[in-house]
Amino acid sequence: MSFRACSINDLVPGEGLRVTSVSPPIAVFLTEEGTVHALDDTCTHQDASLAAGWVENCRVECPLHESTFSLRTGEVDQPPAKRGVRAHQVTVQDGEVLVELSTAAPQLPPGVEVA
Amino acid sequence: MSLALDAHLLIIGAGLAGYYTARQMRTQGHTGPITILGAEAHPAYDRPALSKAYLCGTTDLCDLYLDDPADPLDVRWVRSDAVIGLSTEPLGVWTTSGTFYLGDAVVIATGAEARRLGGHAIRCVEDAAALRAAPLAGARVAVIGGGFLALETAATCTTRGAGSVTVIAGEELPGLRRLGQPVAQALHRLHAQHGVRFLGAARALSVTPAGHAGLAGPQEHAGPQGHVITLSDGRRIEADVVISAVGAVPATGWLTRSALALDPETQAVLTDDTGFTGVPGIWAAGDCALWAAQQTGLRPVGHWQETVDQAQALASTLLGGVPSPMQEPYLWSDQHHVTIQAAGMLALADEVQVLAGSIESGDLLVSYLREGTEIGILGMNRLREVVRWRRARRIRPAALAA
Repeated sequence: MSFRACSINDLVPGEGLRVTSVSPPIAVFLTEEGTVHALDDTCTHQDASLAAGWVENCRVECPLHESTFSLRTGEVDQPPAKRGVRAHQVTVQDGEVLVELSTAAPQLPPGVEVA
Repeated sequence: MSLALDAHLLIIGAGLAGYYTARQMRTQGHTGPITILGAEAHPAYDRPALSKAYLCGTTDLCDLYLDDPADPLDVRWVRSDAVIGLSTEPLGVWTTSGTFYLGDAVVIATGAEARRLGGHAIRCVEDAAALRAAPLAGARVAVIGGGFLALETAATCTTRGAGSVTVIAGEELPGLRRLGQPVAQALHRLHAQHGVRFLGAARALSVTPAGHAGLAGPQEHAGPQGHVITLSDGRRIEADVVISAVGAVPATGWLTRSALALDPETQAVLTDDTGFTGVPGIWAAGDCALWAAQQTGLRPVGHWQETVDQAQALASTLLGGVPSPMQEPYLWSDQHHVTIQAAGMLALADEVQVLAGSIESGDLLVSYLREGTEIGILGMNRLREVVRWRRARRIRPAALAA
């Protein structure tokens, strides 16, 4: 079942928005090309919010280090992170961003637990 | 002269520089054997968490391994064998086990060792494990040093329930010389709010065991009673646990009689800006090395990101390619739930401007200028702003810019 994560107007092209109404929090991204994606917000390497990261070529780079995650699949390309994040299904309806959470187990960094 | 794709690369040192060099060589197409010689008994690990999550007990050593067990690098790891000498003809190194390792090229990545004043240090996992095992709850902790490692460690000690934490930073405010007044004030305030005490500009001169000074029965008094730190202003500070975080020296003692040029002051291996030492087949990267731009002060020394970027440039050059341009220097630190990030040439700044936030709220965004031009930025919990700044200044490879 999907939930309303935010409005499309809350999003800035090339940036992410942290959504904390779910646990663990998710990040919703609007690319420069106009596509909307949702990933788990916490980098799998260390507790950092991917929503603050650098979006380019449909990937987000962690704001702390240089691992980047695919906005489509959540897979990671290079260390220091070793595991990908979950990607969630997004639909945009009447300007609202609806997200259906992945049923996979979240991959949180060591020392971080689901609240 | 570039290295043949099937040649044997010998990497001396199994830390960040050694691992990333090997990884970059594989990424960039090297198919020949790669051997990584390490003095430590552990698989290569990442050090930043040693003063934070590892010291708190929320992560373990296996969480810090650089290599991914599920997708390991195709390299031969040799552990627990320290290097003792370099040979240029034939090219290779001797180790304490009596072995001579040959290589078609040698990358020196032996890192640096902590300066030790006494008490604990934090450089390798054994250091951090000793401090992790120390009973800190209720203890009087003294941290010597005013850099990020010292401040992170002080913050972690408060999390561990230390009775008191005193930092001997050696300057009026922590970070004042390197980061400027507003950031130093904000750091001071952040730590003071968590009970950390600073002793001003006084420097630590010596650390001696408590009960050492002329008391009867020194055998009974030495050891668990802690330490006395003597300061440059004559004060004497007692502490149950003393931690030194006063910098590191390149681990190049094994190279003093070699063909390599070492920096007279630090003993770091001198190289050009691709890591080449000038001696055919021998390269150096990471904390044991001083690249040309570091010698002139244009690039920082001892930062995690600097080593990762050097590994990329070195591997590209070694394989006959053109290295990607070095990006603006970058560092980060975590202290009391505040992430501090800095990018650019902070060391060259002659002016500091607060762009947003305040010292009181601990959310400063600060610009560093030289002759009126912005050359650096620092943010406290300003991840998005620092990302934007680095993004705006990203240098693209020439081939892609067309």
